[in-house]
Amino acid sequence: MSASPSANMGCMDEFLVATGLTKSFDGVQVVESVSFTVHAKEIFGLLGPNGAGKTTTIRMLSTVLGPDEGDVTVDGHSVGRESDAVRRLIGVCPQELALYPELSATDNLVFFGRMAGLSGKEAKERAADVLERVGLTERAKDAVRKYSGGMKRRVNIAIALMSRPRLLFLDEPTVGIDPQSRNHIFDTVLALRDEGMSVLYTTHYMEEADRLCDRIGVMDAGRIIALGTPTELKAQIGDPGATTLEEVFLSLTGRSLRD
Amino acid sequence: MTRPILLALLEVKRFIADRGALAFSIALPIILFALMVGVFGGETSFNATAHVTDLDRGQAASELIERIEQVEGIDVRLYTEERLDDALDRSAVLTGLVIPAGFTAALEDGRPASVQVRRRGSGGDAGQITVSIVRGVADSLASEYELRRALSHLVSEATTPERVEAQTGILLAEALREPPVRVVNRALVEQEEEEDILDRMLPGIIVMFLLFSVTLSAQTLIEERRNGTLERLLTTRLSADELFTGKFLAGVGRGMLQTVVLLVLAFVVLRIAGVSALAQSAVLALVVAAAASAIALVIAAVARTDDQATWAAVFITMFMTVFGGTFFPIASSGVLELLSRFTLNRYAIDAYEGILAETATLGDATFEIAILSGVALVCLIVARLLFRFSSEAK
Ligand SMILES: Nc1ncnc2c1ncn2[C@@H]1O[C@H](COP(=O)(O)OP(=O)(O)OP(=O)(O)O)[C@@H](O)[C@H]1O
Ligand SMILES: [Mg+2]
Repeated sequence: MSASPSANMGCMDEFLVATGLTKSFDGVQVVESVSFTVHAKEIFGLLGPNGAGKTTTIRMLSTVLGPDEGDVTVDGHSVGRESDAVRRLIGVCPQELALYPELSATDNLVFFGRMAGLSGKEAKERAADVLERVGLTERAKDAVRKYSGGMKRRVNIAIALMSRPRLLFLDEPTVGIDPQSRNHIFDTVLALRDEGMSVLYTTHYMEEADRLCDRIGVMDAGRIIALGTPTELKAQIGDPGATTLEEVFLSLTGRSLRD
Repeated sequence: MTRPILLALLEVKRFIADRGALAFSIALPIILFALMVGVFGGETSFNATAHVTDLDRGQAASELIERIEQVEGIDVRLYTEERLDDALDRSAVLTGLVIPAGFTAALEDGRPASVQVRRRGSGGDAGQITVSIVRGVADSLASEYELRRALSHLVSEATTPERVEAQTGILLAEALREPPVRVVNRALVEQEEEEDILDRMLPGIIVMFLLFSVTLSAQTLIEERRNGTLERLLTTRLSADELFTGKFLAGVGRGMLQTVVLLVLAFVVLRIAGVSALAQSAVLALVVAAAASAIALVIAAVARTDDQATWAAVFITMFMTVFGGTFFPIASSGVLELLSRFTLNRYAIDAYEGILAETATLGDATFEIAILSGVALVCLIVARLLFRFSSEAK
């Protein structure tokens, strides 16, 4: 299957298009007619409280979970019918650490690189680059088990970068880490965007979305309830200069406990 | 095909990186085997009693008994024939030696003489060693009688040196043709089924630990399903079939690594057999590891939690180990025999035993290999049908 980037010349700007995604587990609908677009070279934020359906949505976008209804295309390729082509374009950093803690960062990266289709030599070179990028070169040979929480998170992200994805999924990459590591991750994500990567970023921290995202979809109880740039969203409920995204979020999703 | 192999290699690497797993699957079997040898056999210095009945009561017989007694580590106990047979019946004695009437006369006349061995089963390790020692003692005694007879013969015939020489030549040729005392075996119980437990213990323990460590790896597979590494792998270019194949090969690889290390150690330390037997055992290990790995995949497919997987693995392994003839011989009929047919161990141990003893080859184990491969195939199909790669609810 060819992954020609010119497959959809007409709408190059729309890199990922999700239409009417719906999914239920055990009869409970957790994602309901979710539609949005991620443009090329933008950071799109999926913002929502616990249990909103962010992770479930990402799983459907990244070929591992089939939607009950709706479809997704990535660079014109259908996620359902051309999952192979889609997988060549994406990199996924799951919410939970998905790596082999008893192995070194390098071993983890090389392995996932090879699974993504790199040759042994390419994978080694790429691993060194990516480790440099996330600031782990010095500890590259240590078992990941011995890393701090923030370092483990960075390895988790680094793995997703191995395949040089055109579209990167980051599912709450900054949970449970200190401000320094968090800033490091922000800088990395912004740099990747500037190099031409599209990023889908989920979070429940307003401040993160405000700082990073070009556009934001606010998700609650399985639905997208607001969509726009941070400024547009703030303008919806008041003076964009004075309102914080936090206020937007709380006014949109209510103040009761989720989950 | 390279991706599943890379995946399997990664798993082997993880196995090696995991000190605990290594200790469990390689050090523990060695310790257990050493303990078993200590309990069931293998005293460090040889010590045995020769249980002897002297029906001859002649001079040669008493001389034989005296000389056996002089051998270091062997004591002689004398029995009447009835008491010896009774002791054998009760298995109080496993090997008895009977010096038949006419033993002395036969030696004096230069006719073949024999000592009879009465055994229960294989006669036990000590019994077998005693018999071979007695054989040596009896042979040298007989040679002396022969020599004495020949000399007195020559001397009585007022002979010439030439005749002495010629006569000696004939005697030597005769001596070489046939050992002067034959030790005749008379087995009291059919020997076949009742072999030395240690012969089965080595393959038994190897198979048990292979089953343990490979089936327990089902638990790590469930962990990977829960923490999302399996799902993450599916977002790379690895297909579900490749992932499944890789995990199967991983189990085979782990099992092979562990078994081959143990086998090589056994060959080097115990010197049990030659290189060809080692190579054939390795091939057998491949089939056993394939069956175990496929069982692990079934466990991982069916179990919902780590705990369930662990208990399933422990139960299956213990059941197969106990009823598959690892610690006691398989009964020749009845429920226990029936149960043993549902174990991998029975077939694996049977095949290993012959190969390690160098009395059989892989070719003789076609039946066992077919059963083990069949189990592997069926379990693989079942596991593939039931296997889930993510924690998604149905
Ligand atoms: N495999 C599953 N089986 C059953 N229910 C599930 C499953 N996965 C998710 N859910 C349910 O779907 C809803 C949405 O979950 P999801 O993980 O997508 O939310 P989220 O927005 O990522 O939340 P968080 O911010 O806590 O990660 C939750 O109520 C969750 O319990
Ligand atoms: Mg989530």
